[in-house]
Amino acid sequence: MIELKNITKIYGINTNNKVIALEDINLKIKEGELVVLRGASGSGKSTILSLIAALSKPSSGEVIVDNKRISKLQDNFASIYRRDNIGFVFQKYNLISTLSVKENIILPLVPLNLDVKDVEDKLSVVTKRFNIAHKENTIVRNLSGGEQQRVAIARANINNPKIILADEPTANLDEKLSLNFIDILKELKKLNKTIIIATHDPLFFGLDFVDRELKIHNGKIIS
Amino acid sequence: MKNKINIYLIEYAINSILRQKAKNFFIVFVFILLIFLLTSIFFITNSIKYELETTVDSLPQIIVQKIKAGRQYDIDENVVDQLIKIEGVKDVVSRVWGYYYFANTGVNFSIVGLNEYENQYKNSFKKIIQNVELEKGNTSFMVMGQGVQKVLNENYYDKYFNFIRPNGTLKKVNFAGTFDADTELESNDVIVVSKDTFRDIFDMDENKATDIVVKVSNPKEISMIASKIKLIYPDTRVITSDDLKVSYQNIFDYKSGVFLAIFIISLFTFFIIIYDKSSGLTSEEKREIGILKAIGWKIDDVLKEKFYESFIISSFSYIFGVGLSFIYVYIFHAPLLQNIFTGYSQLKTSFELPFIFDIQTLFLVFFLSVPSYIGATIIPSWRIATLEADEVIR
Repeated sequence: MIELKNITKIYGINTNNKVIALEDINLKIKEGELVVLRGASGSGKSTILSLIAALSKPSSGEVIVDNKRISKLQDNFASIYRRDNIGFVFQKYNLISTLSVKENIILPLVPLNLDVKDVEDKLSVVTKRFNIAHKENTIVRNLSGGEQQRVAIARANINNPKIILADEPTANLDEKLSLNFIDILKELKKLNKTIIIATHDPLFFGLDFVDRELKIHNGKIIS
Repeated sequence: MKNKINIYLIEYAINSILRQKAKNFFIVFVFILLIFLLTSIFFITNSIKYELETTVDSLPQIIVQKIKAGRQYDIDENVVDQLIKIEGVKDVVSRVWGYYYFANTGVNFSIVGLNEYENQYKNSFKKIIQNVELEKGNTSFMVMGQGVQKVLNENYYDKYFNFIRPNGTLKKVNFAGTFDADTELESNDVIVVSKDTFRDIFDMDENKATDIVVKVSNPKEISMIASKIKLIYPDTRVITSDDLKVSYQNIFDYKSGVFLAIFIISLFTFFIIIYDKSSGLTSEEKREIGILKAIGWKIDDVLKEKFYESFIISSFSYIFGVGLSFIYVYIFHAPLLQNIFTGYSQLKTSFELPFIFDIQTLFLVFFLSVPSYIGATIIPSWRIATLEADEVIR
């Protein structure tokens, strides 16, 4: 269960250029639910994802995940929380372009110091699931946009997280590849993952397997 | 089960270095060069210092030279008989020595004449006289330093050498062997012959000597006895071991000044690199730290990776730089840098730097280089890693 309680997020709070990204947001998302956050650029969708992932802290209010106050976590505990619970697919994928597909996917496992076999097993599961096994040793910058996205999704799932967050996942893809991504979403939904997608792509609107669509405007949920 | 060493993290650090090949290659190259230069300077300075200390310890206590019109002339041998009468004097020995210019290679050899029946003023000469006969019938023999032997062999003198007398005739002297140097600086360019041979080569009077060496019973009385000698023989210059030490020290200080200049330049360059490294990360490096944190790396995971990265670069540079320095100084005898101090021996025959293993030098260079580089890498990474991941990625 994810809960956002009276969340306000202001960027540059002590400067002259302060921007109110979110204003008094209240939101509850149940386990296994697939939620689409709709809204124009700068509406505050990405900020919601960032707060749930503990990538940033709210200016006021609380983020609670599984009864834990995520917004109060110290930096190192926030990292552990992300590692164990969150799979984040970034808008620009945020891959390290000079590393291979395999090296990018196993990055979240590196600090865990697991046995080689454990790492290979986990890698094999996600590369097969997201159809990227044949490109394991390819350097990421040599991949197409769709392939890069599958690498990003595989990396987000390597730790088998409960929550998948995707920020404008189809912004850099053509329609065919976007539809492929929607198929992947369906599969993740079947695995009972809690999924939150921030997008303004109309392809995501009105999908039968989406549990809820929330419209964000100027830092507020309007519907 | 967890491995003790995180192979994946080390692999990531190595990959990270290789991903910025050109930049890191340049850093390693400059780093090796600086460590090599610093270590070489220390090695050479230590070796010269050792040479200097050994040379100074073996210097005579008092030397008496005949001076006329401000120039040194040969001194009468009978002065020895007068000096031995001075109270406190233990022994007096006349010396014949000089420089022989070998025109083929343009080098000067120090040439010393010894008499087997006299007390020797140096222990190394005692050993030579005990082991080698410098005169057998009408044949003269010489014992030489290894530098001399090398030069003569290169000029096809394998068994004997023909000295040219002042009148142009030749004096044939057979080789009797080489001696082990007490110190390289002092004896590498020395030839030892009998006093008779010496006088024959340089056409020197039989009752003359180059100078006279005085030993005293109590070293505290050196300066007092020197004053007495000066009073008895006002036309002499009386040099004490302290005077010689000062003059050797002055030469060394001048040479070490040159090294100091190179040392300061090396340090200055090194700290420019460190400053540049510590002043910030590129936007690409910052973004990478942001990504790592976003996917679950803790601050200490990031810092650990940066530690491995900088440790690999700096320790590789250190080992390579020190290794190169060892080879350069002790195997190749420090070409170029050696030219700075060859004048120290006054005579330009080659000499080998004695191997002095000084662990303090190795530690000093290590602490100057490795931890400062690691610090300069980790501090800016720590600054970025402690920011909110979202802020860094944006």
